[in-house]
Amino acid sequence: MEESNRADDFVPAGLASLGIEADEVDLAVMGATHQLFWPAIRDLLALDLGEVAPERCPDLSRAPERA
Amino acid sequence: MSALDLTLRGQAAAIAAGDADPGELLEAALARIEQRNPAVNAIVETFPEHSRAMLAAAPAGPLHGVPVVIKDEWPLPWRAQRFGAAEMFKPTAPGESGPFRALRDAGAVIVGVANMHELGSSSTGNVSVYGPARNPWNTERCPGGSSSGPAAAVAARLVAGAVGADGIGSIRFPAAYCGLTGLKPTFSRSAMAGHHMAAISTTIVSGPLCADAADCRLLASALFAEALAPGDAAGLRIGVVRDTVSEDVAPEVREACEAAIEALRAETGGEVREIELADIEPAALATVLIANTEGLGGVSPERLNQLSPDLGPINRGFLKYRMLLPAAASVQAYRIRTLMRHRLAAAFDEVDVIAWPTVPAVAPPLEAPVVEIPSGMLTADQANVRGAGLANLTGIPSASVPVGLSSDQMPIALQLQAAWGRDELLLDAAEALERANGRRWVDALAPLAQAEATEA
Repeated sequence: MEESNRADDFVPAGLASLGIEADEVDLAVMGATHQLFWPAIRDLLALDLGEVAPERCPDLSRAPERA
Repeated sequence: MSALDLTLRGQAAAIAAGDADPGELLEAALARIEQRNPAVNAIVETFPEHSRAMLAAAPAGPLHGVPVVIKDEWPLPWRAQRFGAAEMFKPTAPGESGPFRALRDAGAVIVGVANMHELGSSSTGNVSVYGPARNPWNTERCPGGSSSGPAAAVAARLVAGAVGADGIGSIRFPAAYCGLTGLKPTFSRSAMAGHHMAAISTTIVSGPLCADAADCRLLASALFAEALAPGDAAGLRIGVVRDTVSEDVAPEVREACEAAIEALRAETGGEVREIELADIEPAALATVLIANTEGLGGVSPERLNQLSPDLGPINRGFLKYRMLLPAAASVQAYRIRTLMRHRLAAAFDEVDVIAWPTVPAVAPPLEAPVVEIPSGMLTADQANVRGAGLANLTGIPSASVPVGLSSDQMPIALQLQAAWGRDELLLDAAEALERANGRRWVDALAPLAQAEATEA
């Protein structure tokens, strides 16, 4: 399926499910955003990061604690 | 030469020595804003009576009597921030923000509020409720965002120092586009109180934009509430990464940055080491996801249905699209954060700084902010985020330093990144690079400032 078709389905359906209104301009912007973001998001979701446990309340002013 | 054309530290020293009158300097800054600002739209509001009152009450601090500007991202006691937008999600009110207090306590005088990209949402600066700020090197080009006004103000020499904010490169992009030095401090090291995201954000910091590193050191010292001691960066170990951030860049940007890295190595008597740093692109996306979802608390569909019609169409659409981002992607983003923090910690065992181009191409046109790089035509935001997000994602400090001009006379910049808390080292390295280049690029004046300086 074309990316644009996916956006045509995903964005209006998602907005409708949340009760968010959108005009044609909103939909055009969101469609372009979706085409830009979604392939990268799918790639991100496909990364095997199961071994990486997020730091609990990381202190971003310091290096992470090493095992 | 007007005292206003001195560096930030030069102005402070001249005032301290009695060689410049701070009252005259303030009036000169206000006059220059009136004269030059229409061409660059860097300053969106001045308030001479408040500025004069600040000067009258200014303590004998390191910036006593020195005029500066602050991005439209923090409240002042007499003005609420507008974030460059027709409306914000949270109500704003005048108040004493952290950066305001830091500047006041250092003796500085805030002469104006600087423009910014609407809601801080882009690296270009081409959208603002006030109209876009313009790049003093070419007023048809983007000044960079989101700290567009701070950069344009310093590059036009309206003032010598400006306070910006950096959530995904928003100090470094405009510093790069406008030929300035900009520091994104280590997370939480600089004043942030009063920012509407201060209690929520894990990416945004305040930081300085100035002509050179020594001025950034002075202004950062005020924002950090601690003096940043200078060093010499001797024996600097410079890490380079053979990845898209250093290779998928315009040829003349790559050439200038590679020359700068070699010049920095030679000046410091250091070495250049290739390092592995995988997953930089997913890290950039992770930064975007985290930065754009942290503020979603309290954002309801009902609220989104009441957005001001005066908000720009891109932000209207993107604010709504954020609600559709999958939670699983956010979980992955936080895992990427952990992964990259550990990878960087390991990398900084091997090198002192990591260097790559701040942006892969010079400032694009305001009307069409797209850039051409080896992989094709991309929006500037797409291209720029790749090299900038890592510092915000992981908390490390990062600086953008000017290293050349393109064939069409637009600034080229190198980004230096160091380990957590080593902000001083970045400035040491930037100063070493300035020495290596004979200060050629930090002293270069934008044509707009240059032409008017000659006329004056």
